[in-house]
Amino acid sequence: MSDTAATFTQDRQKLEMAALSAPAVLFTVAMIAFPVVYTIWLGFQTFTSTGKQSFAGLANYSKLISDVEFWHGLWITIALFVLSLALQLVFGVWLALVLFHAKRLPGIVRSLFISPFMMPPVVAGMMWLVILDPSLGAANYILQSLGLPPSDWLASPTWVIPTVALIDSWQWTPYVALIVLGGLQSLPPSVYEAAQIDGASPFKTFQRITLPLLLPTIVTAAILRSVDLLRFFDIIYITTQGGPGNASNTLNIYGFRVGFEFFNIGYASALMLTLTAIVFGAVLAFNRLRGAVAW
Amino acid sequence: MSDAANTDRWIRWLNTLQLVLAGLLIMAPTVWMVLSSFKPSFEVTAYPPTLIFSPTLENYDELTRTTPFLSYALNSLIVTVGSTALGLLFGIPAAFAVSWTRISWPAILTLAARMAPGTLFLLPWYVMFRQIGMIGSYTALILSHAVITLPIVIWVLLPSFDAIPRSVFEAAQVDGCSVTRILWRIAMPLVASGIAVSAILAFVFSWNYFLFALVLSNGDTKTLIAAAFNFIGEGSTQWGALMAAATLIALPPLVLAALVQRWLVSGLTLGAVKG
Repeated sequence: MSDTAATFTQDRQKLEMAALSAPAVLFTVAMIAFPVVYTIWLGFQTFTSTGKQSFAGLANYSKLISDVEFWHGLWITIALFVLSLALQLVFGVWLALVLFHAKRLPGIVRSLFISPFMMPPVVAGMMWLVILDPSLGAANYILQSLGLPPSDWLASPTWVIPTVALIDSWQWTPYVALIVLGGLQSLPPSVYEAAQIDGASPFKTFQRITLPLLLPTIVTAAILRSVDLLRFFDIIYITTQGGPGNASNTLNIYGFRVGFEFFNIGYASALMLTLTAIVFGAVLAFNRLRGAVAW
Repeated sequence: MSDAANTDRWIRWLNTLQLVLAGLLIMAPTVWMVLSSFKPSFEVTAYPPTLIFSPTLENYDELTRTTPFLSYALNSLIVTVGSTALGLLFGIPAAFAVSWTRISWPAILTLAARMAPGTLFLLPWYVMFRQIGMIGSYTALILSHAVITLPIVIWVLLPSFDAIPRSVFEAAQVDGCSVTRILWRIAMPLVASGIAVSAILAFVFSWNYFLFALVLSNGDTKTLIAAAFNFIGEGSTQWGALMAAATLIALPPLVLAALVQRWLVSGLTLGAVKG
């Protein structure tokens, strides 16, 4: 008797659990799973300028392989990704070390440090647009008063990607720093004491002990940033819309413009599915790396 | 004074110097934005740029006079509050069920959705919403923004629910409490601070989100972030009004983030880092 009662409660519990997650699951199916399947189908369609659609097989994907703009976008995406990630990781670790040695951080200081990545990227874009204005901006004034040549920043095809990387790094380096700081604070103090007894220099201690122990945290920060960096959109769209020319036309910007400016939904779908595959590929690769550096 | 103490002081001084330098680099652009928003229009574009000026509200005045700034702000508020509420409504029970049953695929699915580029969803949504005439509706905007808020709520709350000892629930079960009742009466009060953090993070990220409103809103439902694009287009010389708009748009997320700064970073990593 008690057995059936137990099964009854268990079944009831399972049912209740299913009911609790049902709204979220149904929402996810309706707003995410189904649309993604639909995108896959759209990727096999071709749309004429009048909005007529017809089955195109793999035409969108063969177009993609021969599309110069796609390869350019891929190159821009990767360049921006590598440059920004390198900047944010290097300065993030540096900033984390500085914060770590400052011992206690008043809440107000912490609030200031999180302010860049809590503000909308669009606002960051607006404010840097003004600061980096080639003729009247404050950045060039500072450069010139230091005796350095001014730059065209976002208006220069050569410098636009490094400039965007700089803006994004301004926003997200403190975020990386706070993650790494969390990692630093969780390191066992005993390893430092051992190093101190052995007479290791601060630099040696960092290189041989701190850095290897921090690597899993750093890789985690790298994963979190990579996801955003590979689908870079906001700052570029608000400042240059992919320009000057096509110098900052990342894959995400390109796909968006193909879809919503030229209304070639089919080809845009193929582009976005490819970008999604790249993002997930990168996350999986980093995840393996995290497994390799774990301790 | 020993040498070691001297070196120690030097190192501490050097560290403080670096901290101040980092603080300046982080703060300066934002301070410049706020200062510029209070400059008289002729001074905003002055070259060399001025640091000392008599502050004025004329930019803010011009912004509210020449653009429907307040109705954009209202749109932002409707979409953000709506999507945050929806995220909490769906996310709290889901996080609880995932934590209890250890069946994690619903949580992982929402996380995967958070990693995909927004345009991936925007393309089919655009086609679908257009077919049923929902482009430009608050409903479409709230639903799309809930895709941002739902994974935040679930992943911020998961560790909180996991931290509640099982025995608490088991005792309630023995007393004949249903699962829903346990969630409502026992679990939710225990994770109240987690719910607050998740709500604030969801609000901030929904408020800040650009892409969906760019396509799914129309002139009447445009959010502030999507409208920011128009402010820039309106004229390269209207820097004062532009910076006033930027300051006002950034204000709500910055104030909210400051409230929860202590718990914010572990929440932001969506479960990847426990802090």
